Amino acid sequence: MVTLLSLYVSGIATILGSAIGIPLGALIGLKEFGGKGAVKTVTYTLYGFPPVLSGLLIYYLFSRSGPLGSFGILFTPTAMILAETLLVIPLVTGVTITSVMEVDRSVKDTVRALGATSRQTTLTIMREAWVGLVMACMIGFGRVIAEVGAAYLVGGNIEGKTRVLTTAIMLETRMGNFGWAIALGAVLLSVAMAVFFFLRLLQEKEML
Amino acid sequence: MKPDWRVVAAIAMVAVLVVATVVYLVLTQDHEKKTLRLATTTSTYDSGLLSYILPDFEEKYNCKVDVIAVGSGQALEMGKNGDVDVLLVHSPASEIKFVIDGYGEGRTLVMYNNFVIAGPSGDGAGTNSSRNATQAFTKIHDNGTTGNTKFISRGDNSGTNTKELSLWTSAGFNASQFSNSWYLSAGQGMGAVLDMCEQMNAYTLSDDATYYQRVSVNLIPHLNITYQGDPGLFNQYSVIPINATKWTHVNHTLAIDFKGWITSTGGQDLIASYVKYGHQLFFPNAPRNIPATMSSGIELHPGMPIGTVICNSASAGRIGPIAFVDVSKM
Repeated sequence: MVTLLSLYVSGIATILGSAIGIPLGALIGLKEFGGKGAVKTVTYTLYGFPPVLSGLLIYYLFSRSGPLGSFGILFTPTAMILAETLLVIPLVTGVTITSVMEVDRSVKDTVRALGATSRQTTLTIMREAWVGLVMACMIGFGRVIAEVGAAYLVGGNIEGKTRVLTTAIMLETRMGNFGWAIALGAVLLSVAMAVFFFLRLLQEKEML
Repeated sequence: MKPDWRVVAAIAMVAVLVVATVVYLVLTQDHEKKTLRLATTTSTYDSGLLSYILPDFEEKYNCKVDVIAVGSGQALEMGKNGDVDVLLVHSPASEIKFVIDGYGEGRTLVMYNNFVIAGPSGDGAGTNSSRNATQAFTKIHDNGTTGNTKFISRGDNSGTNTKELSLWTSAGFNASQFSNSWYLSAGQGMGAVLDMCEQMNAYTLSDDATYYQRVSVNLIPHLNITYQGDPGLFNQYSVIPINATKWTHVNHTLAIDFKGWITSTGGQDLIASYVKYGHQLFFPNAPRNIPATMSSGIELHPGMPIGTVICNSASAGRIGPIAFVDVSKM
């Protein structure tokens, strides 16, 4: 089912992207190193990374004529997940950077003064930044549940295999069935709403 | 340690996602069936023909056909990269080059339909009274440059785009020099271009299937077919299996089976029986008695001089008169 595949592809991409982006963002946000400013700028710039470009990249990597072609994952949901993960990573990283930086100043000194180790300090800061971290995941999910360029290019919109809500909307629009396209859009928004509602509950739970 | 309900909630959400995934994958998996990857064009797919005829092939050969619908240019590119097993496209000049360059194992004619000139119902450029398509295009050009009308091009290397450009050339023009005060290059699919013509009172070259489809959803009430019928407007579809020597992983057996089936009496009859929007949309014209072995891409039939390609004329019936056309003149 198209809706389930949308959730699967975008969901896994968000989870993978966050698993990479949150630690990466914490690292960049909390550590001092040369070129930190440049790294941050590049991260934020990648917010504007066109999904279709991500799709092209994955296509060229995994095409049979490309370097990783022997895996044969083109035109499968796996390729779509990879392309979407690439889109999630910069977003989650960037928002995490900002979130931990917000916390850093006030908490770090206090916790340090109480004798916390470096690891305990980082974990405490992350917990304080919880609201921001959940938002990072939300933004990442929002980006990929709605994108169509990458999904179409590396997935191929194959009926029953790689058709997701967004590529189905493209198809219906292309065929002039605007009513259907809008209906599918409503389904997408409903699905997104359910996910975001859950994430919001997660976010607003009071820190201990 | 007290369980943190946030963590529990997060784990529960992930668990639901994973379970849904597994259920989905189990329900949709079809391990016994082999898969054939077919790249075709959006206009072919959107006509609904494939959804109509493919179940017959899938049943006869116990397989599943994965159809990827993109523009002609992209389909050929995917074929070059070995990402699909077989092509069904309608861009003769590009196809011939594709086969000659070694990417495809021969090009076999399958079916045709017709291009039409669609334009504002008043037909301000007077294309309806043209002798042929070339003259119709000349009239559009003359009316365009005087500001009387507009033309919208697909501008996307599709089969339709290629045919359109060849018509401008045969009328003696160089389309790349046209002013965008009247000649607009949309870079979009056929349906979108027709919608634009409706909004801008412009002409375009369209395949008849997409035109009828747009009419059926009532999106182009102010457009008509202003010119049709010239044999030069015929739109030939061909099937090209991807070169299995170059790409050993392709499903070569199924690709050849597909070619055999779609050009067989059964397949051709199925194509002819497809009626939509009150019209037969595709006219089968596969040559009879295709030899089992082929040379590197150019179809050979007994007695035929080397270096020629078979081309059917549009007014033919199912098989029809066969004209030999020099490759260099395509």
